[in-house]
Amino acid sequence: MYDVVIIGSGASGGAVAYTLCKAGYKVAVLEKGRLVKKEEFSKDELAYCRRDLVTPSLFDEYHTIEEKVDGKWVSTPTYESGWSFWNGNIVGGSSNLMSGMLHRLHPDDFRLKSKYGEIKGANVVDWPISYEELEPYYALAEELVGISGHYESHAYEPKRSTPNFTQPPTKENRVVKLIDKACHSLGVTPLVTPRAVLSQTKPGRDACYYSNFCGSYGCSSGAKGSSREALLKPALATGNLTLLTNTHVKYLHTKSKDEVSYAVVVDTITGKEKQIEGKIFVVAAQAHESARLLLNSANKHHPEGLGNSSGELGKNLIFSGGGSGQGELHKESLKEIKFDELMTTGLFINRTVLDWYFIDHWWDGKFKGGSVEFMFEHQNIISRARKNNYENGKLVWGEALGERVVKRMTEQKNIRFEIFNDWLPNDNCFVSLDPTHKDKYGMPVGKLRVEGHPQDVKVGKYIAKKCEKILEEMGAKNIYSGVSSSPPQNLVAGGCRFGDDPKTSVLNKYCQSHDVKNLFVADASFMPTGGSVAYTWTIYANAFRVADHILERLKQV
Amino acid sequence: MRIKRRKFLILGSLLGLSSYVKAERTTDFEKEFKAVKSTITAVQEHMFPKGSKIPSARSMHVTTFLYETITHKSFDRDIKAFVVEGAEELMRREKGKFTSMNRIEKEKALRDYEMTNYGSTWLSRMMTLTMEGMFSDPIYGANIKESGWKALGAYGGFPRPKTKYMES
Repeated sequence: MYDVVIIGSGASGGAVAYTLCKAGYKVAVLEKGRLVKKEEFSKDELAYCRRDLVTPSLFDEYHTIEEKVDGKWVSTPTYESGWSFWNGNIVGGSSNLMSGMLHRLHPDDFRLKSKYGEIKGANVVDWPISYEELEPYYALAEELVGISGHYESHAYEPKRSTPNFTQPPTKENRVVKLIDKACHSLGVTPLVTPRAVLSQTKPGRDACYYSNFCGSYGCSSGAKGSSREALLKPALATGNLTLLTNTHVKYLHTKSKDEVSYAVVVDTITGKEKQIEGKIFVVAAQAHESARLLLNSANKHHPEGLGNSSGELGKNLIFSGGGSGQGELHKESLKEIKFDELMTTGLFINRTVLDWYFIDHWWDGKFKGGSVEFMFEHQNIISRARKNNYENGKLVWGEALGERVVKRMTEQKNIRFEIFNDWLPNDNCFVSLDPTHKDKYGMPVGKLRVEGHPQDVKVGKYIAKKCEKILEEMGAKNIYSGVSSSPPQNLVAGGCRFGDDPKTSVLNKYCQSHDVKNLFVADASFMPTGGSVAYTWTIYANAFRVADHILERLKQV
Repeated sequence: MRIKRRKFLILGSLLGLSSYVKAERTTDFEKEFKAVKSTITAVQEHMFPKGSKIPSARSMHVTTFLYETITHKSFDRDIKAFVVEGAEELMRREKGKFTSMNRIEKEKALRDYEMTNYGSTWLSRMMTLTMEGMFSDPIYGANIKESGWKALGAYGGFPRPKTKYMES
């Protein structure tokens, strides 16, 4: 029997495993995907970005997605739509593939309801913990995961317990000169983006070598702060970690009402089932899959799902609101920097704007806003060559296609912005079990209803207009932006809210089930609201906090 | 609302579901592909002719790449069947004469085909699959001597793949 069994090897599973293994406890991490070592990762666009090599085939494992069409909820299996909700099912999970633009939440993100009051149609609640309680773990994650950056004081930049990042920012493309100048002339403050990529070597990990392909790819140097590289590798080195790959958990079994006794797993290669026993179980399978696993673990003691006495399991799923925009920087109109500098590959942009994180304006009103990241259009070659090859509704081909693609690829570079704002939790965004569809292991698939709140789009559009002005000031052409209520499937949280009241939350403030004493959920499921930045740093930090609590508990056993 | 891809692909074809069902068996698919291979090649060569600023389809083994990639287990089986069905549809529309047409006739045939939703989707898929070969890592055999990358002045990152994903 293991001391602790962790289901999922992504950011949160890695953080819990690291802490417990370092403390000398025997831990098993169950991962349904395979182990891809850093030596195996390459910058193969076809393999990693255009085929499902690190996610399951949608014909084998899928979700059903409910969207409102003409006033009625219509459910579509993802093998029909091709809209995959899987995110990196390999050891380390989606942290292998992230771009690594990370931010801490702002202290007011922990008390959104107190700060802004009720929003009609949204289920906003305050968190049961404060920023001050999580701050030491943000600092710990920064050090262990390896987040580089440069701290600058800003009204919406949360306070830190350490003066600055231990690693300076990664090298930057000269285009930042244009961004900074444009921002300053518009009275906007550009900040350096903290990034989970090492700019300097660290024991056992090399610094970034600026290969030009980072987001969506696994890292070959170990510079990217994936769970696999930063946490599971050192956890394995303790000799206390058993990493069980190709191991899919079907459900958790409880012999008595308040204790999980074992996980029923299936070997994804052989199809054989077995039981994995542990003293404590930590679910870290990514938000919607964690809720699904607990729903699929329903039994006579827990007829509505494991730890679901509140009826809240699966509810208040959240994504990230916002959208993105783009403009073209053309060779002939570039003045402040040389075109060759702009076209230099591999270097980062590292620019964030937090000026609109909270809006309190005499005309626009007072509301929660969001953050903005600047970046180049992804440098994938096939996708860049393939896009925008229509004219008057017809495909361009022949010699005209050659002219068009070569000109676009050699005489301009596209600059993008991405907006992150709160996806307000609401009654029409949740995960449940599909009553009909089952995966290849015979378990009901997750059914996701994914409606956003109208405020999310309103906020996103408000910020997009300001970002378009920055691109315009930079001299970009053909600027456009898109903000919609379509959920980004790689930015998902909620479904197992934490809170002090067992009647309205699934987990307590330590992310421990109110109902089942040896069950924890360590991934982003706990988040009642998501803040207006990518979740990853908060996931890492909270999982370290949860791990500390589990440690205390283990000491008492 | 995301389009129900499979339903669209099946209903859009005058040939219906037959290819989809048959495509489940590899040997049948090989035969089916062989029957439409020259049509697919002709379409690729029309879209990517000689004399363009990007390499020609004829010089880049793009049909071989297309076959290898769609027959791997990771490729969407609906789209795999659609690739063949769409070519069969083109052959049927043009009474089997597409491959022997001159350039002007082919242009008209493809533009007419593009006027249908089904044809437009199929031609778009042909362009995607052809570009995937032409601009993917040379290890896949269709970006010969990196000539696709050289034409665009854009090169893949390091490390480069040591094996094709189909072989790992």
